[in-house]
Amino acid sequence: MLNLLLREINVTTLGWVLGIVAVIAVVFAVLIVLVSKLCFVPVDEKAEAIQANLAGANCGGCGYAGCADFAKALAQGKAKINGCGPTPNENKSKIAEILGVPFSAEESKYAVVHCAGGEVSLDKYVYVGNEGCTAQNALLGGRKVCPQGCMGGGTCEACCPYHAVTVEHGVAYANKALCEACGLCVSKCPKGIIELIPKSSKVYVACSTTCKGKDVMNTCKVGCIGCGLCAKNCPNGAIEMVDNIPVINYSKCTGCKVCVAKCPRKCIKEI
Amino acid sequence: MAEFIMIIVSAVFINNFVVVQFLGICPFLGVSKDFKSALGMGLAVTFVMTITCLITYPLYTFVLVPLGIEFMEIIIFIFVIAAIVQMIEMALKKFSPTLYNAMGIYLPLITTNCAVLGVAELVIDTPQIAGLIGITTGAMNMGFAVLYGLFAGLGFTVAIVLMSGLREKIARLPINKHLKGFPIAMICACFIAMAFYVFALI
Repeated sequence: MLNLLLREINVTTLGWVLGIVAVIAVVFAVLIVLVSKLCFVPVDEKAEAIQANLAGANCGGCGYAGCADFAKALAQGKAKINGCGPTPNENKSKIAEILGVPFSAEESKYAVVHCAGGEVSLDKYVYVGNEGCTAQNALLGGRKVCPQGCMGGGTCEACCPYHAVTVEHGVAYANKALCEACGLCVSKCPKGIIELIPKSSKVYVACSTTCKGKDVMNTCKVGCIGCGLCAKNCPNGAIEMVDNIPVINYSKCTGCKVCVAKCPRKCIKEI
Repeated sequence: MAEFIMIIVSAVFINNFVVVQFLGICPFLGVSKDFKSALGMGLAVTFVMTITCLITYPLYTFVLVPLGIEFMEIIIFIFVIAAIVQMIEMALKKFSPTLYNAMGIYLPLITTNCAVLGVAELVIDTPQIAGLIGITTGAMNMGFAVLYGLFAGLGFTVAIVLMSGLREKIARLPINKHLKGFPIAMICACFIAMAFYVFALI
């Protein structure tokens, strides 16, 4: 059998094949070595080590082009470690070690939309046109009567790399379990009504209107009328009224939910 | 001039690499989720296809054929493609970091892209390629080969960009959850393929 096989092989052809493959291999090997010598780029080892510890989601929430870019900025001292939401705290402390800077752990956060309007708040006009909130906002501040009302255009939904934000019944809603606090939606929302709050928080204010109480009564079923009952009744003094809207200080909030019970408009919500 | 137009129409539309010849389906489905990366992938493939044709066509015609070892084509082409992609990657990293970052992972991915090997195989198959671009068999030369490589890559870009545009729109539509994601992408690909098939009937 082997003899038969050997007789079938044409020695000249075999020689040419081996020769050509060897020649091509050598030529490309030399070329690659030459090119790699010619195009040597010094690798920033610090940045590589940092990148290995980052979440690697490439969400862009930090404002850089991706995790590699952010790692480079960190290594050069241009960025702050806490600029990244998705990276867990133990990895952040490792990065701080690499950089040789002190690191104070910050509680992981998630996004909430300070609006619950949607279908239950009135429209100024019927919007037909380019999808996305930015375009709609440019037209008389969007279709909602409330100047801070969520327009439900879905810009936050489209930009979220974790599919945590969805528009339901005309208002955006962030899923706590999926949100990695990258902050993309916060920067994309033209109304500025999305905020990152600590994950342990028990309540949030689902309204951010600046309208007067009477106007809110007429236009939105779930809008805050600025009555201040929540601030007056909070046993810990964690709520403060700023521009007719309650602002919760989460460092003081104990999660007693008195404000949820007292709010006549049900716009302070449990999480 | 007539051949030039024929190469463009044939490579980009009638024999589009992705939707008619079904080569390079992997990046077509994998990297078509958003417009930017689809365009990046398409241009990277175009670039590699052109350079591959520039090297493999003379290598085959002037080295392998005279020596009578045409059967080694696949092994040698894979060799060449892998080496070229490696070198392009290193050169890009040095001379154009911006482009390197834009192409990112897509460049190494192309090493194993069957569309690139496909174009290298197609341009050396003289009777078939001559039929595709409407020339006599003897008139095939390196210029045609490289042009075909370039426009085949552009055809790939057209297909993947069309697909990414459709998928970006579809991602927002209220689709039955069983069809969401990959199944609807396959259906889209089917419609694009049918649309391109019409060019073959002209």
